[in-house]
Amino acid sequence: MTTDSSSRLAIETVGLTKRFGDTLAVDDLTLRIPMGSVFGFIGPNGAGKSTTIKMLMGLLGKTAGQARVLGFDVAGRCEAVKDRVGYVPELHFVYRWMRVREVIYFCRSFYKTWNNDLCAELLGLFELDEHKKVKHLSKGMVAKLALLLAIAHEPELLILDEPTSGLDPIIREEFLDGVLRTICDRQKTVLFSSHTLSDVQRLADAVGIIHQGRLLANCPTEELLTGTKRIRAVLPDGCSPDKPPEGTIWQRFRRREWLLTVRGFSPATIEYLQTTYLVENIEVTDLGLEDVFKDYVRGRRASA
Amino acid sequence: MSIDPNSPVPIYQQIAAYIRRAVAAGVYRPGEMIPSLRTLALELVVNPNTVQRAYEQLEREGLIHARKGRGMFVARDGPASAQSRSQAAVYSAFAQGIRAGQAANIAPERIRATFEKASQDVSTEVRSET
Repeated sequence: MTTDSSSRLAIETVGLTKRFGDTLAVDDLTLRIPMGSVFGFIGPNGAGKSTTIKMLMGLLGKTAGQARVLGFDVAGRCEAVKDRVGYVPELHFVYRWMRVREVIYFCRSFYKTWNNDLCAELLGLFELDEHKKVKHLSKGMVAKLALLLAIAHEPELLILDEPTSGLDPIIREEFLDGVLRTICDRQKTVLFSSHTLSDVQRLADAVGIIHQGRLLANCPTEELLTGTKRIRAVLPDGCSPDKPPEGTIWQRFRRREWLLTVRGFSPATIEYLQTTYLVENIEVTDLGLEDVFKDYVRGRRASA
Repeated sequence: MSIDPNSPVPIYQQIAAYIRRAVAAGVYRPGEMIPSLRTLALELVVNPNTVQRAYEQLEREGLIHARKGRGMFVARDGPASAQSRSQAAVYSAFAQGIRAGQAANIAPERIRATFEKASQDVSTEVRSET
């Protein structure tokens, strides 16, 4: 990636906020996704992922803040952007009475950039039967059809809202294969939300963790993994752990065992613990993405 | 090869370690081409940027080098360099074992004795297999 393309942003939000009555669904969200990167958006149900995506797609108005997609403000977005974005919504579509072929003809008419060869290639790859009615397709087939419709016009930016949830492992892999082919062959930008953290780890260059509308973490995937550690410190009797080290995102003290999950871990973290407390024993372990994610959310709940 | 997406080890490091082992074991010999970014990304179902990061690291190590427009090739002293790097992986595996011992308050000499025993057991395993 050249410095020029990395300095260009596919998605940029500043203080993006959405309020539904008393509920803050998205709270002061600032996000920058460079062109050519894959961004994994993770968070528990109701965290604000879909609301954010709908605002980016111009399907939902914002309460405050700014959002730009491919350089255009989402509020007054012109038609030109539509051709350049592909979108797979959370609930895969409604043309249930149509045949696969008819849906394709119908959707093709909306895009100037529709690529018939790519469409045919994807039909084969996904083993989709053109003559079947959508209502007779399995859930996995519908998901693959939705992906086909989102990428056959060769968008620069692909936005997927929980694309693989509820799919069996085989279909999920075929779906990811379809996404990967677009990334591989055309160096595209992808934003996808997911609960399947193994998929996020496979695909995402960077990860954003959102909880209760707030962005808790936003950094390269490997940095999130290598910089976050679980520490187990054994403290002497009568010692109470009142000053956790900097970067603590979750902690629990039980008997003499103090468990801490710390981001931005360094040897200084251990030094701090050893000089502040009479630590009897200390152990540092690595965490997988799933544990890192859970600790961010648990830590937030405990402090709320 | 398959990668473990739930592992705490970043995927690019898993890929780099796999290529190193494959070169050290003679799967890819000096002067031969290793799989392209696209091939390996689709095979492992990972982001091609991640494969590229692994290849960049291996290139810095001198294990492979790029030939313009053709791909990545194993360097002449690739196998030797792969072996010394794999040694670093062995080191960190031992270090992890030692840390686990310390966390359980096991004395250093007992940890060392455990290492010797494991070392013996593993070498008899290999001998009985062949």
